[in-house]
Amino acid sequence: MRLTLHMLISHGRVARRMGMGPESRINMLRNILTGLVRHERVETTRGRADEVRFYAEKLIDYAKKGDTDEKAMKMANFWLTEKDLVPKLFKVLAPRFETHSRGYTRMVRIPNRQNLDRAKMAVLEYKGNPFPPLFPVKKQNELTLINQLLKGYREERAQELAAKS
Amino acid sequence: MNLATLVHSLRQSLLRIESRLLQAAGLDRHLAPALAVSGSSLLPQLQPQVDQEEHQQEEQIPGIMDSILWMAAPKKRRTIEVNRTRRRAESKLIKVKNNIEPCPECGHLKEKHIMCGFCYAKVCKETRLIRQQIQALEGGPLKTPAVETVVLYEGEMPSQQDKDKRIVERPRKRPAWFS
Repeated sequence: MRLTLHMLISHGRVARRMGMGPESRINMLRNILTGLVRHERVETTRGRADEVRFYAEKLIDYAKKGDTDEKAMKMANFWLTEKDLVPKLFKVLAPRFETHSRGYTRMVRIPNRQNLDRAKMAVLEYKGNPFPPLFPVKKQNELTLINQLLKGYREERAQELAAKS
Repeated sequence: MNLATLVHSLRQSLLRIESRLLQAAGLDRHLAPALAVSGSSLLPQLQPQVDQEEHQQEEQIPGIMDSILWMAAPKKRRTIEVNRTRRRAESKLIKVKNNIEPCPECGHLKEKHIMCGFCYAKVCKETRLIRQQIQALEGGPLKTPAVETVVLYEGEMPSQQDKDKRIVERPRKRPAWFS
């Protein structure tokens, strides 16, 4: 190939390069996606999780078309290397996200890996998975002073409105 | 007159040729240095040949050595002041982070945009135990059923929503942070 300036400078290019070339990158993402569909929560490096997110959501969009659709089945067959996950995708994950239009995955950043490489890690999960939530839902405590005062205020306002009308 | 000059120049050239042939043969008697290279005597030379030969002999060997061993080396010792300024430059010092805060749940320190390590380890531990139960239920690899899963702890009954889901039982009390 001719050694052009275009090859040497990569200003503004957003496509990530992973593995040993584009084919290797797709294979790696396919493996991670298969793991995600099987376990519904996976831990990888931040770059890989970010890339897989796009493919995971697109796969759900294809699965929503139904398993009778030719294209959808071809996509699922290509992306899921373990074929016992194909029925799981169409019968479990697609109905789960029927009401959602987008945002089927959640990516949460994690402290760096403890190895020598100290890589930046992230957890990628499908929403609605059966495991304990990464961020516990904060319950509002009714018995705190401020909440009690607010409760009293709301009751008084309701009484005043009822008395007026 | 022209004839005489012609003859004179011819004689001069003949003498020169003779002297050069003698030099090439090595039969001439004036100062023959031991390490003179005979090849250089064939080149056209001006009158001060002897000096040139001596100069060449002197310069040839050190000349070659100089061209091979021309490498960079520090001229002077770097003082401690210069060393300090280089080592303690702004770009080489560790940057101060001001995005560290305590986790509101457990109190361990965490970075603002990153999940708390302790809380994540807690969740990881429980997920691993749940996954072990799932593995025991499935019995082997590549046997995922096409149904949803729900985790029930001790003393919990499956509710209306969990009708057609696969139930994974965990023999412990439900942890407070798992809704």
